[in-house]
Amino acid sequence: MLEGASLTVDDGRFVSLVGPSGSGKSSLLRAVIGLQQPLSGTVETKLARAQVGILFQDDALLPWKTARDNVALGLTFNGMERSKALAEAETWLERLNLAGFGDRFPRHLSGGQRKRVALAQVLAMRPKLILMDEPFASLDAIVGARVVRDVVALVEREGISVLLVTHDLEEALTLSDEVYLLSQGPRAHITEHYPVPIPRPRDPVHSRTHPAFAPLYERLWADLSREVDHRAEAA
Amino acid sequence: MRRLDPRYAWVRQLAAFAVVLAVWEAAGRADMLNPLYAPSPSRVGAALVDLFSDGRIWPHLEATFSAALGGLALGIVVGIVLGVVAALVPFIAELLEPVMTVLNAIPRVILAPLFVIWLGIGLASKVALSFILVAVLIFFTVFTGIRQVDRRLVERVVTLGGDRWALVRHVYLPSVASWVLGNLKIAVGFAFTGACVGEFVAATHGLGYLLSFAQSTYNAALMFALILLILAVVLVIFGIAGRLEKRLLRWN
Repeated sequence: MLEGASLTVDDGRFVSLVGPSGSGKSSLLRAVIGLQQPLSGTVETKLARAQVGILFQDDALLPWKTARDNVALGLTFNGMERSKALAEAETWLERLNLAGFGDRFPRHLSGGQRKRVALAQVLAMRPKLILMDEPFASLDAIVGARVVRDVVALVEREGISVLLVTHDLEEALTLSDEVYLLSQGPRAHITEHYPVPIPRPRDPVHSRTHPAFAPLYERLWADLSREVDHRAEAA
Repeated sequence: MRRLDPRYAWVRQLAAFAVVLAVWEAAGRADMLNPLYAPSPSRVGAALVDLFSDGRIWPHLEATFSAALGGLALGIVVGIVLGVVAALVPFIAELLEPVMTVLNAIPRVILAPLFVIWLGIGLASKVALSFILVAVLIFFTVFTGIRQVDRRLVERVVTLGGDRWALVRHVYLPSVASWVLGNLKIAVGFAFTGACVGEFVAATHGLGYLLSFAQSTYNAALMFALILLILAVVLVIFGIAGRLEKRLLRWN
């Protein structure tokens, strides 16, 4: 359970929230998008509901719809004509290197391809902010790195803000402009805030060779370990 | 041991079946079998040809098909409606679930004599038996299916801006359709069981009625012929159901 979390995501910023499992990271995202009510407090956003997208840990595509239909789904919900939505969906599939896969059902796509379809589904809505709940955790290293690289490129190009929750410190640092550290639950709260001075545009794979990366990583690691130890002693 | 090529399993199965038939036929011709109990395949074949040659089988086939398909259609519709309503309205679920659980637990064919008293020896009592067999199966399929619908899909549709109607159309309906189709073969089997058992209990027409006639006249050749016929009918319907399932669930 999360208690007293306060954080800000400014326009076009990539912000990560890292913390041990069970600290309520996912709950925070669910509260922001309205799937879950906070017990107290409020979520403030100057964005309309349709301007916020969410990328879940699982791809959660509708199994009975083709990749193209899945991507077009959100567009038709928001009043776009079906034929136009399908054309738009195809464009997004192409941007995510899935040209020619539009007619496939999710079951006939690989894990990385399904993740790309889920991304196209969210990006097609032209969100101002994307919430990401450990979306890359289920992918293996090489596939994951490629998907992440494409995500970063698209997000930078479109100027989309991102709030990513993850327990992967390296992922948080290579992708983000700012990282918030969450303490161990129960009654988790935000303990630290780290700006990440690695310039954009970024290549997430090579960001870790930037001189700012290693010291920040050490600091974040030490703070997180202290947090976990601290709680373990208290328990 | 030499590995068997799985592609030719059907050849070996067919050959083995032919051998059994040949031995059976030979034993029959050598007077080693009492034709009263185990008529030879050629006698069974003759009985089968006989049924069709004078055309008297058609009204019986029609009666059984009408009962089975009528019960199947009614059972699927009512099963889906009750399942959906019970899944959405807790009060209805409270009332329906124990009744359905009891109906599910008992062998429902024991209701056959009751239906004859209520509905007479005509078609209605057979449709009713088929219906009750199918409806309970479909009810549970739909009821448990809707309650176990993938929450992640619901959340995905909601976060993409879908309303209640979008949820019904894009998540609930396809889910229900896939569960019902997945159980279609079982439902077909149930429907024919209902029709035949109903006819066996009391009827003037139908394959079940012919079976009971064959029993009362100790006509084993006719009985074998009828069993073969029912087998063929159900296999054909299974084939159709299978194709339908494959076509509509091609995403699976």
